[in-house]
Amino acid sequence: MALLTGKPSARRQGFELAMMSPALLLLALITLVPFFSIIWMSFNDVSLMGGLTFEFSGLDNWQRVFTDPDIRSSWLISLFYFLATVGLEMILGTVMALLVYSLTRGSNIIISLLLIPMFIAPVIVGLLGRFMLDPSHGLYAWLLNETGLFDGNILGSVGPAMVAVILMDVWEWTPLVALIVLAGLASVPEDILEAAEMDGAKYGQKLLYIILPSISNILLVALLIRAMDAIRFFAIIFITTNGGPADSTKIIPIRLYDIAFRFFDLGYAAAVGITMLAFSILVANAFMKLLKRQEKRS
Amino acid sequence: MTAPKRWVSLTVKIVLLTLLLLWTLVPIVWMVLSSFKPNSVITANTPRVFFTPTLEHYASLFSGGNSLWPYLMNSLLIAGVSTLIAVVLGCMAGFGLSRIRIKGKQHLAFWIISTRMAPIAAVIVPLYLLFRYLYLLDTHVGLIVAYLSFNLPFAIWLMTAFFDDLPPDLEEAAMIDGATKFQAFRYVVLPLMTPGLVTTAILCFIFAWNDYAFAQTFSGPSTQTIPIAAAQLLTQTGIDWGKLLAIGTIVVCPMAIAGLLVKRWLVQGLTMGAVK
Repeated sequence: MALLTGKPSARRQGFELAMMSPALLLLALITLVPFFSIIWMSFNDVSLMGGLTFEFSGLDNWQRVFTDPDIRSSWLISLFYFLATVGLEMILGTVMALLVYSLTRGSNIIISLLLIPMFIAPVIVGLLGRFMLDPSHGLYAWLLNETGLFDGNILGSVGPAMVAVILMDVWEWTPLVALIVLAGLASVPEDILEAAEMDGAKYGQKLLYIILPSISNILLVALLIRAMDAIRFFAIIFITTNGGPADSTKIIPIRLYDIAFRFFDLGYAAAVGITMLAFSILVANAFMKLLKRQEKRS
Repeated sequence: MTAPKRWVSLTVKIVLLTLLLLWTLVPIVWMVLSSFKPNSVITANTPRVFFTPTLEHYASLFSGGNSLWPYLMNSLLIAGVSTLIAVVLGCMAGFGLSRIRIKGKQHLAFWIISTRMAPIAAVIVPLYLLFRYLYLLDTHVGLIVAYLSFNLPFAIWLMTAFFDDLPPDLEEAAMIDGATKFQAFRYVVLPLMTPGLVTTAILCFIFAWNDYAFAQTFSGPSTQTIPIAAAQLLTQTGIDWGKLLAIGTIVVCPMAIAGLLVKRWLVQGLTMGAVK
């Protein structure tokens, strides 16, 4: 964000304020009210069982958040899911971008085709995953069966189910990483690459010493964008395994949803929600720092 | 590079690219293709590529008792209105935020970005309670508000980035010529903002259209959106795949086309202005 445009602020800024105020007031209303509500809820026993009841309970919910083994295991599953999806997306996305970048013809149409998954509603990605993996007539299930790699219900088995939901997320979001990296590749200094080639540098050397260092900032942007979305969305798992089998894919948002809308324990869910918010605020903080660094550079 | 080496690298490239294209496109093509297959072909034990196409699944979606029309209308109305509000207010605020110089502007920016990044599961809990008190469950207004909670900060942030790219010299020149700040904004700046506005609008619409979690929690019989229609069919025993794949195709195709229309500005949009 340009903080230093124009002349010093001697002139009046009433117009700018007037333009900002409707949006900011509405945003304050629809975000601050829920924000203070969730904090208040976390100190109360809010139950929906047999009508809504609200009862102050002090730190009970908070004590549970930090001692509940289910929550701990959900965070661990989330961490694994998070590292696997974001890690694979970063690697595959970079490969995808490098390949498209190296094309001399047709790169426009190819990148367009590769981008399609990220426009697809996560619920449809989950639906497609279930369709492709359906044990009796799914195309991928059939292929795995014919090649002897896996025989059985993929989404119903601990282990394969996790791999499947990870790959669905990777399928949907790798294109986003590729798109971001591709934008960064445009800034790789062409002359240095040519000079390196003249000196007989191998592709791996060029990649390691020239290309990757000059897109490191962009890679960080991609990483942060994915990191924040990884904890925002949960529809793919919601619609495919809903945390199962045997809670093996129960990432923290799914656990929270269960607590809130299956066990109707909204106060406890609020406390869990706040810990998730804390995580996303950390990511937002890192994002702001990165933006500031870029601004200084340009 | 020597000639054989070049061949090797070219082959590797083509193989990798083919694999990536297959990985990406096979599920989509298979969905669209299968949505035109008769049920007997969909549920056959071996996959079939050749068949006599049928429109029966699409026809059955729009006729009979549980028609897709109300879901479609709800989706269009809710996503449309939330997009309109987000873009209009976001455009105004984006201009103000880009041009204003006040202390604590960074804190303001941080607040805006963190509301956009808030995990949906965490937002749902307090909103559910508030909506219950305010009788907003199963209303269009409720879902519009829910979608504004992420689309409004997104639109403000993105429009700010677009306005930041436009040097203020233009407006200043117009103002030296006697234009007011409003006139400079309306007649000089705004006409140059079409790509920014269209990109913001399309992305906001896609985010709202694609949502499942909010709709699942806050909608009721009179406000259910298309993703809910898909989820309802999916949780039934004896899944009607033909119908489901037809819904999938209807949900996906317009958004993919709209998204690709603004491909040039997509990076800027999806990184919220961090990458140009």
